[in-house]
Amino acid sequence: MFELLFKYPPAAFAKGQLVWLAPWPFAWAAAGLLLAAALLAGQIGRRAQRLPRPRRLVLWLLQAAFLALLLLVVRQPALSVTTLKPRQNIVAVLLDDSRSMAVRETEGRRIEQARDVLRNGLLDSLAARFQVRLYRFGDRLTRIEKLEEAAGQAQATHIGEALSALAAEAAGLPLGAVVLLSDGADTRGGVAREVLEQLRARRLPVHTLGFGRERFERDIELGRIELPARALPGDRLTALVTVRKNGYRGARARLAVREGGRTLASREIRLAAAEQTEWLTFAAGTAGAHRLEFVVEPLAGEENARNNALARLLQVEDLKPRLLYMEGEPRWEFKFIRRAVEDDPALRLVTILRTTENKLYRQGIADPKELEQGFPASAEELFAFRGLILGSVESGYFSAAQQELIRQFADRRGGGVLWLGGRRALAEGGWGRPPLADPLPTVLPAGKQTFHRDRARVRLSPAGGDSLICRLEEPPEANLERWRRLPALADYQEAGEPKPGAVVLAELETPEGRRLPLLITQNYGRGRTALFATGGSWRWQMLQELADQSHEIFWRQLLRWLVNGAPGQVSGSTPAPVLEDDSRVTLRAEVRDKAFLPLPDARVEARILGPEGLSETVELRPQAGEPGLFQSEWTAARPGAYSAEIAARRGEQEIGRDLVLFRREDGVAEDFRAEQNRELLRTLAEQTGGRYWRPAEAARLAREISYSEAGIGVRETLELWDMPFVFLLALTLRASEWLLRRKWGAV
Amino acid sequence: MMRPRIFTGALLGIALLAFQGRFRGFRGEVDNDDAPFPPDGNEKTEFVFARLRYPSVRFAWGFRGNWATDYWKADRQFVQGVRRLTRIHVRSVEQVVDLDSDEIYNWPWIYAVEVGHWDLTDAQCRRLRDYLLRGGFLMVDDFHGTWEWENFMASLSRVFPDRPVVDLDSQDPIFHVLYDLDERFQVPGIQYWYSGRLYEKDGIEPRWRAVYDDKGRVLVAICHNMDLGDAWEWADHPRYPEPYASLAYRIGINYIIYAMTH
Repeated sequence: MFELLFKYPPAAFAKGQLVWLAPWPFAWAAAGLLLAAALLAGQIGRRAQRLPRPRRLVLWLLQAAFLALLLLVVRQPALSVTTLKPRQNIVAVLLDDSRSMAVRETEGRRIEQARDVLRNGLLDSLAARFQVRLYRFGDRLTRIEKLEEAAGQAQATHIGEALSALAAEAAGLPLGAVVLLSDGADTRGGVAREVLEQLRARRLPVHTLGFGRERFERDIELGRIELPARALPGDRLTALVTVRKNGYRGARARLAVREGGRTLASREIRLAAAEQTEWLTFAAGTAGAHRLEFVVEPLAGEENARNNALARLLQVEDLKPRLLYMEGEPRWEFKFIRRAVEDDPALRLVTILRTTENKLYRQGIADPKELEQGFPASAEELFAFRGLILGSVESGYFSAAQQELIRQFADRRGGGVLWLGGRRALAEGGWGRPPLADPLPTVLPAGKQTFHRDRARVRLSPAGGDSLICRLEEPPEANLERWRRLPALADYQEAGEPKPGAVVLAELETPEGRRLPLLITQNYGRGRTALFATGGSWRWQMLQELADQSHEIFWRQLLRWLVNGAPGQVSGSTPAPVLEDDSRVTLRAEVRDKAFLPLPDARVEARILGPEGLSETVELRPQAGEPGLFQSEWTAARPGAYSAEIAARRGEQEIGRDLVLFRREDGVAEDFRAEQNRELLRTLAEQTGGRYWRPAEAARLAREISYSEAGIGVRETLELWDMPFVFLLALTLRASEWLLRRKWGAV
Repeated sequence: MMRPRIFTGALLGIALLAFQGRFRGFRGEVDNDDAPFPPDGNEKTEFVFARLRYPSVRFAWGFRGNWATDYWKADRQFVQGVRRLTRIHVRSVEQVVDLDSDEIYNWPWIYAVEVGHWDLTDAQCRRLRDYLLRGGFLMVDDFHGTWEWENFMASLSRVFPDRPVVDLDSQDPIFHVLYDLDERFQVPGIQYWYSGRLYEKDGIEPRWRAVYDDKGRVLVAICHNMDLGDAWEWADHPRYPEPYASLAYRIGINYIIYAMTH
């Protein structure tokens, strides 16, 4: 229709430049138009005096518009546009060969539809004007001679990389345009900006033809899974799982996490929204690498059940992090915290207790010399711990240097610091002054008398209901009730106002009915800090049945949270521990000295062990502008499990080691987001000057593709005065005027 | 068969007379009921000296329960020492507790005196076992000789039928948590004034014993054939030898700090 009215395709207008072929200037035309309009106004005023003024105005407007149209035509408008020189340019046809193209639609498989479109005219029409090069692509670009060489079998779709490879291959060739036939289900999630810029720099238009449904009618798909990469043995973990669905509104499904066929945890979920986030809590298990499979059990009639499961890797570290607990006076809380974590295989609590003014009692020390002088006075000694608990001890007990070390323990070392309430703690102990006020998660009250030996009941906040620290029982509703049933605390302390960014997990209720924050956490620097505003949780142990584990569970979870994520001197990581149909892995390591200052001059190597006896050593290179950070990319050639032991040395001295685990899993990504990603294809086309096409429109593609500034082009002038639209418009103006005159009796 | 019975009966009679004499002899001095209540007696503190009130074995003549022996002077005098010598926040006045309600669970450290005469009911035994396994601590003191030991064990064995009573090793942390108490000696009761004997009845050898839990922590600290309570009570008396009082204080303080750390 567009071409029928406007003579040329939209691309000509989009890419062309409007020019006027008549030699006389625009000012003359404007002056002529004004003069003619004035004459017309005068004539209508004289000859149609009987008509009311608004009707005379309408007639004048119609006549003036007609005159203006005539003047424009006389000026000979035209489009100046660059078109590809026939037969001298190459058009690359890229056919998506990935597994998602094998999805069956009502008209047949997507790959078959794409081949049919090419066979039934598109290839011929392109070949009539250009040299055509045929490619297939999945995770790489391959030139093919026959369409049958693309069968929908590639394990991944990397559109950006295919285009980049094409641009590189055709660097010296007159490549005029790209025609890309795909479902847009790119397994990298999109086309990198660098690739788009590369195409734009060459002015190379990418015309995309989209295949497949844009949404399945009945499908459940797992999306993002948020899970810590590392855990301690026996940790309770919560995975946040994004579940997407089409259809099945209000249906119930079972979400589970499995390992080696064994179900670790499962729960029933209600499918309420197109996309929803669900939690799943489970135990981390023993030390080692765990491949966890998250599954939504398929429902009846699902169109694609292969996207109901996703694997994640969990590294359970064979660690027993040490925490230092400094207590200023003998008290029951101290004893019961020690007892609560005594049997935790993943925690080692070292304590210093001021029994008298001049005596310290140490427990849990590695050797008689450890902490012989009391609380550590050097970063090396203090930062050997991963967690720090400060009990009922006044801040003045610590020297200025020790106070700064406590602050840096969280900030620089990345450890966790927990303050407890007590007679000499928090505001009573002068902790509200710098530098120790800074890492606290609350602004402490200004005055004293904040510690009260009165019982206080506790309850979870909404954030506490979601937090694993406070999860004493499943499901969350039962947990809330269990917290309500907990015996009252023996005492409490006013913790002050939570700082911005701090999270209140639990509150207490004073005998007067005031509600105060009890457990507050926050991230601080590289670490985390928390405040538990009581020294009286021991009643949870003494006042409940012997078999009740509330007290033990709470303290173990709180202290595990405190040390989780506290890095060692060498801390390795990889952004994606599971490589889904991908082979590139980025290995990173942060290297610090014993005082946790960055070590930019370390030598860092990763020894990678993989499938089929693979053993390779990769050097990690220092990153500019980020001292102490080392990084390298490596290619995991085969699917399977890999381990990278990262070791850092400085001269002959070894600084530390860390283990990073990752897996390459093939044949996964293509099962997800398998609907046509029209948005991606449309954006890609628009960003490069091409256009998104439906298969039914393919017949016109060859002609439109000519309007390209890439390749070998020729400048053309396309006259517009004889567009059918112009004549239609002129006719409409005159006919409208005549009909109105007749109606109003002014003929 | 008659001779042993007569012999046992005679011994029992002698023991009861001796006990009666001791009790009668010092009763008036112990019960200092007219002493003013300390002004800070109601202070809310971390630690309170909790004295266990228990039912005693009944005899032909009635008297108040043995649980109150040395009450309250020993308690208050001892906690003054705890206050002075440690950083424990201690109430100046004791708390009397019993095993008849769950209130006992609010006092994680309890002291029981003259347990050679206690006679716990089954319900009390169950509650005491539960209390100790939850984390409570019991110190028993001032009982002497074979007969009182057997009577003490008659109730304790119902509290812990499956846990033995063992002698505390001098290396046990309970003797080192604050003071190093490798060198210990018998601490006599106030009868030492007139008898000159360190021991009472046939309790010649002082025994520091304990019942442990599964993790090697002391649940019940047993001071047999000694009288730490008297030593605390008479520590301010010029006729009571200072070394005994000092050791009694050190043992008591060590036991409290052990209970608050293990």
